[in-house]
Amino acid sequence: MSNEERGVLLIVDDDAINRAVLEEIFAADYAIEEAENGAAGLEKILAEPDRLCAVLLDVVMPAMDGLEVLRRLRREDLLRRIPVFLITAEAGDQVLQEAYSLGVMDVISKPVVPYLVRRRVRSVIELFQARRQLSRTVESQRERLLRQAEEIIALNQGMVETLATAIEFRSEESGDHVRRIHDITKSLLSETALGKDLAPEEIEEIALASILHDVGKIAVPDAILNKPGRLTAEEFEVMKTHTVQGAALLDRIPQLHRHRSYRYAVDIARHHHERWDGRGYPDGLKGDEISLWAQVVSLADVYDALSCKRVYKDAFPRERVLEMIRNGECGVFNPELLRCFFEIEEELSGLYQKEAGLV
Amino acid sequence: MTSERIRQLEAGGIDVAQALERVMGNEALLERLLGKFLDAPQYHALCAALERGDPEQAAAAAHTMKGMCGNLSMTELFRLFTMQVETLRGGDLVAGREMMAQITPAYERATAAIRGRAEDGGA
Repeated sequence: MSNEERGVLLIVDDDAINRAVLEEIFAADYAIEEAENGAAGLEKILAEPDRLCAVLLDVVMPAMDGLEVLRRLRREDLLRRIPVFLITAEAGDQVLQEAYSLGVMDVISKPVVPYLVRRRVRSVIELFQARRQLSRTVESQRERLLRQAEEIIALNQGMVETLATAIEFRSEESGDHVRRIHDITKSLLSETALGKDLAPEEIEEIALASILHDVGKIAVPDAILNKPGRLTAEEFEVMKTHTVQGAALLDRIPQLHRHRSYRYAVDIARHHHERWDGRGYPDGLKGDEISLWAQVVSLADVYDALSCKRVYKDAFPRERVLEMIRNGECGVFNPELLRCFFEIEEELSGLYQKEAGLV
Repeated sequence: MTSERIRQLEAGGIDVAQALERVMGNEALLERLLGKFLDAPQYHALCAALERGDPEQAAAAAHTMKGMCGNLSMTELFRLFTMQVETLRGGDLVAGREMMAQITPAYERATAAIRGRAEDGGA
């Protein structure tokens, strides 16, 4: 390490002999700079504090004494960053007391004994440099951990989407369905009064959970899932089990229980086919017995199903979709939910125009 | 530094071994600092302030002398100036002046030794 890298040792003393003695003691270890009075020393320190590894400060000096320099450094909160040593011939009790209470590192009496002053100053400088190095290391590790956490979150979301998309693929749909459900759910909760009691993080967690609403379809046989025509009563009963199966599947993965989206995902998977009038399935919940998020995903699912082509039907035109939802042809919804939905439907319809290449 | 020079300086009241230790054995530096001691205006400032009757200025000058003598291991002068600074800070101008009776010959012995005329200094 060169002297420059070790840092600059600043000697502030009005006596040239003193400066020369101290310089001789430390020149082999540090780059040395000098100031001949307190005011000049303070100016040097304030100009570029992080360049300095330590300051050796005389007490009795013209143009600002050592104690006043200490007081100014204390005001700038620099005494915790730079070790300052008082070098003094007259260490009166009062001076010592004030110096230590201001935060001086050590008081060394003049005339100095070289090997003693060298040892004391050097070990403190090493301590400060180790501490600086350590805090730099901690800072960079903290940044790395933060970056890793972000990557893990992105990876989580990617895996959730992959799983949901794999299931959608079985019903010959693309992954766009789950992504749209995510976006519609998020828009309804963050852009309308529906989400007024939810924090932005909770809305993110619910939107992520909405992706898994149909995860139980993995337990429904292909013959029923992909049947082009109408389902028989028995087939429909099997189809309905995807709600309970989905909740059970999520429940069986212990790692998921700790995930902040978990409780929403289970609720949404089980209850996204409940109806406001109590005539839905699997539990026949009614009105506010159905959680807000299950209601929101339920409407998003219906809106998306009507707006797109499915194995059992073609896409309906937008006017017809809105008419069917308003008239309750595809289920009965909470009137407040519908009001909020129509408030932003114009914007939501953009999701489908883009796909059809109409924009 | 020749043994002759060392004897000369010691005769002037300078603990050469200790002074050399303080400058990490750098003999040239010690000679340079001894030269600075000769050039320092504070001794005359001290005398003038005492004559004027200005204890504050006298104490400031004596303080600087004390520091230099300490660094250069002028043991006796360091002891004398330390006492004088305390006396003058206490405001006792008369006692401060009286101490010059001891300080002046010691100072002259030291400066003569540094200039290389220790024998004239009357060691």
